[in-house]
Parts: sequence; structure tokens; C-alpha cells
Amino acid sequence: MSSESSKKRKPKVIRSDGAPAEGKRTRSDTEQEGKYYSEEAEVDLRDPGRDYELYKYTCQELQRLMAEIQDLKSRGGKDAAVEIEDRRIQSCVHFMTLKKLNRLAHIRLKKGRDQTHEAKQKVDAYHLQLQNLLYEVMHLQKEITKCLEFKSKHEEIDLVSLEEFYKEAPPDISKAEVTMGDPHQQTLARLDWELEQRKRLAEKYRECLSNKEKILKEIEVKKEYLSSLQPRLNSIMQASLPVQEYLFMPFDQAHKQYETARHLPPPLYVLFVQATAYGQACAHRKSSQPPRQDKTLSVAIEGSVDEAKALFKPPEDSQDDESDSDAEEEQTTKRRRPTLGVQLDDKRKEMLKRHPLSVLLDLKCKDGSVLHLTFHYLMNLNIMTVKAKVTTTTELITPISAGDLLSPDSVLSCLYPGDHGKKTPNPANQYQFDKVGILTLRDYVLDLGHPYLWVQKLGGLHFPKEQPQHTVIADHSLSASHMETTMKLLKTRVQSRLALHKQFASLEHGIVPVTSDCHHLFPAKVVSRLVKWVTITHEDYTELHFTKDIVEAGLAEDTNLYYMALVERGTAKLQAAVVLNPGYSSIPPIFQLCLNWKGEKTNNNDDNIRAMESEVNVCYKELCGPRPGHQLLTNQLQRLCVLLDVYLETESHDDSVEGPKEFPQEKMCLRLFRGPSRMKPFKYNHPQGFFSHR
Amino acid sequence: MERAAQPAVPLGQMEVFQALQRLHMTIFSQSVSPCGKFLAAGNNYGQIAIFSLSAALSSEAKEESKKPMVTFQAHDGPVYSMVSTDRHLLSAGDGEVKAWLWAEILKKGCKELWRRQPPYRTSLEVPEINALLLMPKENLLILGGGDCQLHAMDLETGTFMWALRGHTDYIHCLALRERSPEVLSGGEDGAVRLWDLRTAKEVQTIEVYKHEECSRPHNGRWIGCLATDSDWMVCGGGPALTLWHLRSSTPTTVFPMRAPQKHVTFYQDLVLTAAGNSCRVDVFTNLGYRAFSLSF
Repeated sequence: MSSESSKKRKPKVIRSDGAPAEGKRTRSDTEQEGKYYSEEAEVDLRDPGRDYELYKYTCQELQRLMAEIQDLKSRGGKDAAVEIEDRRIQSCVHFMTLKKLNRLAHIRLKKGRDQTHEAKQKVDAYHLQLQNLLYEVMHLQKEITKCLEFKSKHEEIDLVSLEEFYKEAPPDISKAEVTMGDPHQQTLARLDWELEQRKRLAEKYRECLSNKEKILKEIEVKKEYLSSLQPRLNSIMQASLPVQEYLFMPFDQAHKQYETARHLPPPLYVLFVQATAYGQACAHRKSSQPPRQDKTLSVAIEGSVDEAKALFKPPEDSQDDESDSDAEEEQTTKRRRPTLGVQLDDKRKEMLKRHPLSVLLDLKCKDGSVLHLTFHYLMNLNIMTVKAKVTTTTELITPISAGDLLSPDSVLSCLYPGDHGKKTPNPANQYQFDKVGILTLRDYVLDLGHPYLWVQKLGGLHFPKEQPQHTVIADHSLSASHMETTMKLLKTRVQSRLALHKQFASLEHGIVPVTSDCHHLFPAKVVSRLVKWVTITHEDYTELHFTKDIVEAGLAEDTNLYYMALVERGTAKLQAAVVLNPGYSSIPPIFQLCLNWKGEKTNNNDDNIRAMESEVNVCYKELCGPRPGHQLLTNQLQRLCVLLDVYLETESHDDSVEGPKEFPQEKMCLRLFRGPSRMKPFKYNHPQGFFSHR
Repeated sequence: MERAAQPAVPLGQMEVFQALQRLHMTIFSQSVSPCGKFLAAGNNYGQIAIFSLSAALSSEAKEESKKPMVTFQAHDGPVYSMVSTDRHLLSAGDGEVKAWLWAEILKKGCKELWRRQPPYRTSLEVPEINALLLMPKENLLILGGGDCQLHAMDLETGTFMWALRGHTDYIHCLALRERSPEVLSGGEDGAVRLWDLRTAKEVQTIEVYKHEECSRPHNGRWIGCLATDSDWMVCGGGPALTLWHLRSSTPTTVFPMRAPQKHVTFYQDLVLTAAGNSCRVDVFTNLGYRAFSLSF
């Protein structure tokens, strides 16, 4: 500002000095300038105090003059006018003085102001300078602090430790002598080394990348080569099919089966795998024979693979289907009344839905009969069921009493004790059933198959009773551990049933078929005859008066088969109620006898009847016959006839009754009675042929 | 009367066989231990079971107290008769007498101390021994059985001393009349014969079937069981179970048992244990009144 004001000043001065061209102006200017200069100069010269005194004196004079004028004017007179004029001129002079003084005062004021202004401007300038400097100082201080706080990036780098650095770095970088003493140099050296290392690593990286590229290219080439191989292999496989068949190694067929097997639900898959493995293991055991002939166990999958795949469609589709079906159902509700039942029915059907794929197992027995087992999986209930069918090499004529023996419903009942297959083995199913109003699975087993426990075990499903689990997963080891026993039991079951089937046909005709290797168990002559052999129901059996003991002992379950045999000799009629356990022939049939001859004798009132029952029920092991033991029932019946003979012939003659004995004793007995219980001699001794006591 | 509970477990081969065995079991003999705490019972399969009487008769008796403490196979044939000496249990059945130590009998795998066979006349079939009688004073064991004779065995030496003949059919039961001393034997021929041991002769014969109060001709005439209290005798079998006064040879009380009885014992004056043709031992605490049954 000072420079500006001085700049303002300067043009004035310059103008006045440097511009003499303008006439008038210059003159007035110079005059004015001269005035200025002169009055300014006068101001400098004159003393303001004296001017003030002059002013005061002038004012006094004026006042005096005015007063004199006044006086003169008031007095009037002739000389007054001249005096007044005189005084007027004096006062005018005084006025002029006043005016000059006024001008001087103004000039002085102006000068004073100018000087103040100048000084002020100088001060302002200094002030500004001061401000500038202070500002700069502050700025510099900030800069200094910034510089002091500055963290160089190099500190963020993890440099290798000092020892390592000195060890690894080449001497031209580490420059130990210099760096040891100077930390700055040291850090620099370290950074240098870091840089060096990074460069090397970057180099390596580039090398590796290029290697990788090379290798990838090689892989591509090889892949192409292999994919070109695939169609060639396929054609070789096709060509080899006839060779496979010739060598009895149907790899292709097995391969196809495995393909289908992938779509099986887990329990069926476990069953499939384990059964195939078992079948192959069995075939291996008898490796002397050509493999095809020894297919005692063959496994197949049947059902629609597409449907199985369809089960895994995304949920929107199925939801659409549901909504469609709901819409349809709604329509039908508007039309017909009994739809609640239909809806419930549909829900039930949905709950009991089977997986579209099922596993077929064919067990061939030695005599050529085959047990066909079809295993299904109920998806919502997580259980497996089985349907069974027995086919024989020759057509079977079913005797009336043998109706239940081979029926699909009961042929596999109680394969393991208590496994009747009428209840669902999965405890969680009960809650599902309650929702749709199914009481038990029993009503549906004819259609769905039986959910036996061994079937679940073969599928690897285990439902523990103590801690019911949420989801039961199929387990291979469970299936494997049960496979062999179950297969053996199944075969024994089929064969024993077939044997019984044949025997029943004979029994119904009144002939007890005793095979030649069991003839030694019985005497040559047996007079009592079997006249009747019929089935009876479980209720009929429990209502018989002489079977109470068996019922009480819990041996007469509804899973057993019941028969009535009638043995006769003369007037004596022996009724035998037979309980046939499904586990025949490892579990013996149980006989309860009632003899009608001279009164009714049962095990309650006659110890010898009890002994006869004991001979047949307890001593059954002698009657089993050769290995599979299928002759047990017929042998028991034959023995029953023999026992009746002995009983009747050894009956002591009652003195009170008249007449000869009805049955003369023909059997050779050493003693008729023995022991405190006075038993008859029921035990037959071979080959001597006499009867003795046990 | 207790009934066998319905088994909840499905019956396998073993369970069915055991159930059948039990249904067809007959207990033929019993004997109380010298300390009075145990009862030994022998059945028709040749097994002997030892029951704890103190546990079964106590007020806190449970189901398990009525099961045997130990069961073992003693003979090949039925165990028809058992007696106890002060240290041994003697059992007899199929022609042999075996001795067991009471002290050892509760241990597993107990073996017989000795076994003896009386001299039989016939060799075709080994006759059974139906009754054993112990005479502690003379240390004699009297056996009666299928060969219709009474044999006497010295317990110390094991030799058979003499045989008494007289029965026409095999002997069912024996009893000792201490006062005389006399031995009573009942047999299949329907007679109860009294023998004097010192003279080795038959003293008295009671033909039970000839008395009308007790005879049951439809059952036969055989005498199955016999017990005596020197003045009194209880016998039964074909004829009804009857209490006899010996000196007068008259029947006094006829007991209401439907089936022919096999075994009867006086025990501590009041209790009669009688086993019928079932697997149960019936215990009478008062004469003529059945309290409970022990089951095999």
C-alpha cells in the first residue's frame, strides 16, 4: 500500500514535472502548484501557535470593530459613515486574514493528515511484512514437522535381518566397512540388497510362468490325443462283446447294470452291491465248475430309470405339478361330495409311494426251485419291503392243507424269530401314519410287500429302538454282516417248505411218508393209521381244551401254522393238534394229544399221554432224519402212531370191567411199568425191536 | 397258582426247546439240606436243582427267589429218589446211587463223590431205584426199586449187605419207622409191607386197594408214595392219599388231591410237601391246605 500510495503520489509529481505541454493547465497547475507550494511553504514557515494568536487577535479586532460600528451606527452621525467605512475596510481586511488563516488551518490539517497517512501506510507495510514473515515461519514450521514425521516407505518393507543381510549380500552392496558405522548408509545398502533380491525373484517368476505355459501346451496336446482314443476304444469294446460271451465274462452287462444302479436309492444300492458281491464270492468258491452254471444268486435291477431320474427334478416343476393337482382337486371338490376321503386316499398313496426302481434277487436251490425276491424301497417311509415268489421246476399241485406254505404272504414269515413283517420297523413312521390315517402297514403289505427286519438289515438300515434317530443312513457293513446268514436261511426256508408241501400231499391221503433212511426209527409193524390231516385256524387251536399249556407258555403265536391230525386204531381215536413254527425244521412242531378211548385222556389226567407228547416234542432230535431235517414232521407223526399202538396194547386190564382186552399186546416190552410215574415203555430200540423206558 | 409269564422276546430254537422241556418236566424227588436252608429237587431229565428255602419262604420273596440257585446234570436217567445225610446228598435213579457233598453242591461244576450199583439179578435192563431210605444210626442206606427187592448198603464201606424179597411187583417207596426199627415199603402190587431189620423178615402187610374209602380202581392199585411218623402213615398212589394209623391198620384221613401223588414228606411236624405230575412242588403249611408252589 505504501508503494501504491507512493505510486499515486509519484504520477502527480511526474505529471507536474514531466508535462509542460498543456498551456493553461500547466499554468493554472503551476499557479495552483505555486500556490500550494507557496502556502505550503508558508505553513512550514509559520508557527501554528502564532497563527492561533493572530486568529484570536483578529477575532478580537473584528469584534471591536463590529462593536465600534455598532456604536457608530447607533449614534449616527456624519463622520460615522466614513468611520464605518474605515472600519468596514479594516474588518474586511480582518476577514481576509481570517480566510487566510482558515486556509492555512486547512492546509495544516491536510498536511497533518497526509503525514499521518504516510506514517500509517508505512506502519501498515511493516505490519504486512511482519504478517508475511510470521506466516512463512508457520509454514516452515509445519513443513519441518511434516518432514520430521515423514516415514519413508522403506521402513514398511520387511528387510532381512541384519545378520542375514551381511551374510547373504554380496560385498559390493553390503560395503561392510562403510555401512557398519553409518546407519543411513546401512539402510541404503539394505534397500539395495532388497531391490537386488526382488529383481532376481521377478526373473525367476517370469521363467516359471514361461515353463508353465509350455507344460500346459503339452497337456493340451496329450488330451487331444486321448480324446481321439476314446472312440477307438468304444469300437474295440463293441468288437469284444462276442468274445466276452464266449468266455462267460459279461463285463458289458455288468457295466450296464452298474449304470442303472447309480440311480438306485441308497438302501437298494447297498443291497445291490452286497448281493452282487456275495453272489460272486459264492461263484468263486466253486471255481471248478464253469461260472455260469453256478449262479445260485443272481441280481438284477428292474424298473424305469427315467422315472428315477425324474425324482430329482428341480422343485419348481414339482411345485407346479402340485399346484396343478391342487387346482384339479379343488375343481372336483366343487363337483362331488366325498372328496375328503379321496384326498386322504391320495395322501396315503403318496406316503406309501415306491421308488420306481427295484432290485430282483433270484436264489436257486439245489433241486432247481427258485425263490424270486423283489425288493422295493418306500421313499417317504425310508423302509424296504420284499415280495417273494417260489417257482419249481415241475408244476406243483397244492394240497388243501398246504395252502399257506408257499403263499407269498407267509412263506418268508418269521425267517428270524419274531420277524413277522406286519409292522413297519421304522418308529418314525408312526407319526407319518397318524397324519394320513393309516393304522398299520399290515393292510398294505399284500400290495407293497413285507417290511421284514432282515430286509432292512440287508439294505443297511438300522432303526435302533432305544434312541430313535432322525435320518437313518444305509450302511454297507450292516448289510454285509447279515447277507450270508440270511441267504442261507432263505434257501433252507424254501426247501423245507417245498418238502412239507410234498409231505402234506401224502398226509392228506392218510399215508405218512417215511423215507428209507428213517425206517430204523420205527418198528416194522405199525397198526394205528393217520386218517385225517387238516389245517385249523389259530383261534380254533387256542379254543381246544387240551392245548392250554402251549398257549400259556407263549408257544402258540398267530404267525404259526396249525394243523389237526387224527390217528385211529379200533375204537381209539387220538387227536393231535400240531403247531408248526415258520422256522421249521430248526424249530420242531409241537404236538398236543387228546385220546378218546374209555374216556377222554389228555396230559392233564394221564401221565402216559404226557409221556407220549414228550416223546414227540422233547425227543425230536432223534426224529430229524438226515441233514436238512425235513423229515421231522412225518417222523413225528409216525412215532405218534407207534406210541398209540404201545399205549393201547400195554393198557393194564381193569378188573372191574368185563371182556377181553381190545388190543392184544403184540409189542415186545421188557416191563410194562417203571418208575414212580409208572410209565409205559415208549422207547423203541433198534435193531432188537423191543420197547423200553427212557 | 403262578403261571408262566408270556415271553415278550421272540422265541428262537433254544427258547422253544427249553419251554417244551419245562412243559414236559416231572419232578420226582426232593430233599432238604442238613442246615434246612436249601431244597434239592430232581427231575425226569436227570437234573438236580437247588432252591434256597430261606429266600423263598421269607416275607420279601420275589419271582427270582423261586428259581433254582444252581442246576446240574446228575444222572443219565430220571432222578427218582434223593435223601440227605448230615453232609451228603444221595441221589438215585437209573440203577445207580450217587453221593454229592452239600458243602460243594452250590459251586459250579460239582462232581459226585461216589457212585454205587446194587447187585441186580437181571442184566437185560437196569432196573431203576425208586426209593432211598437212610438209617443214620446203623449208617445204612436202603434202596428199593425195579427189581422188587430192598437192598441195604453200608454207607461207610459201600458194600451191599442183604436184600429183602417179598414184593411181587416193583417197589415205589420206602419209609422208616424209627421206633422198632422197621422199614415200610409200598409197591406196584398195591401192598405196603413192613419189614423188621433185625430179623430181615416181613412183619406186616397192608393191602391198600382192598379198602374201600381210598381205593380208586380206575387208577390202579399201586402205592406211589409213603411217609411214616412211627404211629401214623401217609400213603397214596392209585388209591387216594390217605393217613393211616399203623397199629390198627385203619385209614383215618383222605386228602383231596385229584391226581395220583408221587411224593410226600413230613417236615417239621406240620408241613407236607407233595409233588404231583407237573414241574411244580406244592407246599402245605397246614394239613390239607396248599400255600404256594415252587417251580423249576
